[in-house]
Amino acid sequence: MELAAQLLVILIQIAAVMGVVLLHVAYLTYAERKVLSDMQDRLGPMEVGPHGLLQPIADGLKLFFKEDIIPAGANKIIFSASPILVLVPALIGFAVVPFGRDSLHIGDVEITPYITDINIGILYILAFSSLGAYGILLGGWASNSKYALLGGLRSAAQVISYELPLGLSLVGPILLSESLSMMTMTHAQAGGFWNWYVVKTTPIPFVIYMICAIAETNRLPFDLPEAESELVAGFFTEYSGMRFSFFFLAEYANMILVSCIGVVAFLGGWQAPFAFLEFIPPIVWFLAKVYFLLFFYIWLRATVPRLRFDQLMAFGWKIMLPLSLVMVLVISVAKYILTH
Amino acid sequence: MKLKQSLFKTIIFSEILKGLQLTFKHLLKGKVITQQYPHQKPTLPDGYRGVIVHLRYDDGAEICVGCSLCEAACPSHCITVESAEREDFPQKRYAKRYILDVTKCVFCGFCVQACPVDALASSKEYEMATTDKRTLMMDKEAMLTLGDQYFPIRQKRPQYSEDRFSLFKQMKEVGFPLAKKGSS
Repeated sequence: MELAAQLLVILIQIAAVMGVVLLHVAYLTYAERKVLSDMQDRLGPMEVGPHGLLQPIADGLKLFFKEDIIPAGANKIIFSASPILVLVPALIGFAVVPFGRDSLHIGDVEITPYITDINIGILYILAFSSLGAYGILLGGWASNSKYALLGGLRSAAQVISYELPLGLSLVGPILLSESLSMMTMTHAQAGGFWNWYVVKTTPIPFVIYMICAIAETNRLPFDLPEAESELVAGFFTEYSGMRFSFFFLAEYANMILVSCIGVVAFLGGWQAPFAFLEFIPPIVWFLAKVYFLLFFYIWLRATVPRLRFDQLMAFGWKIMLPLSLVMVLVISVAKYILTH
Repeated sequence: MKLKQSLFKTIIFSEILKGLQLTFKHLLKGKVITQQYPHQKPTLPDGYRGVIVHLRYDDGAEICVGCSLCEAACPSHCITVESAEREDFPQKRYAKRYILDVTKCVFCGFCVQACPVDALASSKEYEMATTDKRTLMMDKEAMLTLGDQYFPIRQKRPQYSEDRFSLFKQMKEVGFPLAKKGSS
């Protein structure tokens, strides 16, 4: 009985988190279109509902009812597996993200503000987020199209060059909090914004993290895998209908995920920036910070043009990697000196 | 010193920050260039050349005299005029049939310029999308109603004097007076 109740609670939690994340994904596309169009002196979607508010739902319905085409020369199994291989890692990472501070108690049942708090949280997310690249590579390969293959290859190269600095930039917060658990990491940043790791580790690892995160999620200015002006749509050129929407969902879910990790690792998670602001619920702080990072993503997309591919690689290997290595060294030495 | 400055600028991504500032300014300005077309229509300039229409005099009579000069001027051969003599005014002609093929028309306005009696005009009608192509073969009646819609102020009919009318009457009865040699 006890076990059944706990299982039910966990299932409900998972369903709730998935629901909220997917809703956010849907409306992130809307927000992106609106913010982009405002920055370009346009109006964006205006037709469906007041100010186009129902546009994501209309888009979803349209994609759902579209014909699902598998190209003649495609490898059917890999072609249909790769959208799932992209989407699942993007959604699975949310399992360890702590959204708030306090657990909700209903009778004996405790509802935590995270699905699970495993003690290798960050490692888990890093591992799964790199799995997403397999889906992209395989999808590009299985499509039997030169554009898709080029997109997939670019994605693989990009992931290799940006995975390393991404992991190394997160070493700073891990060293300071002495934990890989997202919950412990958030608790270690309590007290005010000067305790957040964006200040404590100098902003350099945070900037490296943001750049790498953008590259990881294939967003502008690093959207070379799907560069529409060169590669049609890159790795998902041949996809249509539901499979296409899976890639789309994965991209936006990944955006939210990396923003969540950025907030937890560098911006203090659900901590308020000042002690006197703690009356505002932690979840509000968490969401505000995530929304800010998401806005920054969109903002950057409206501003910066796409990089050339060799520039992208050179920037990753010649600047980001050495810089993040140096920062790891500096942070660990500083930590050693300060504790001894 | 200069090198140091440029290095510092590179390190803090000064160029990108400048760009971000610009886009954010546009976000705050909230200026919109887009027109929500079906809901909000553009104000067209006066010289706009839409569908060609026929005009009427202020007493409701059509102006066209069926001279076919528009047909001759039309570069895409979209105008067909079939003219005939009027019953009430002998030697006066009118367009018995006038067909404008809007599917061929290039809206150049040459016909309007060619018309000697100003019977044609460019309206501001441009929403001609239809599911039935036959509605785009406009006859004289359709063009006249469209002309009424777009040009409510009509030009005055030139007034003929009484002896002009009597001449017409005479012609109707005995035919056109042929010029004779020696007569004044």
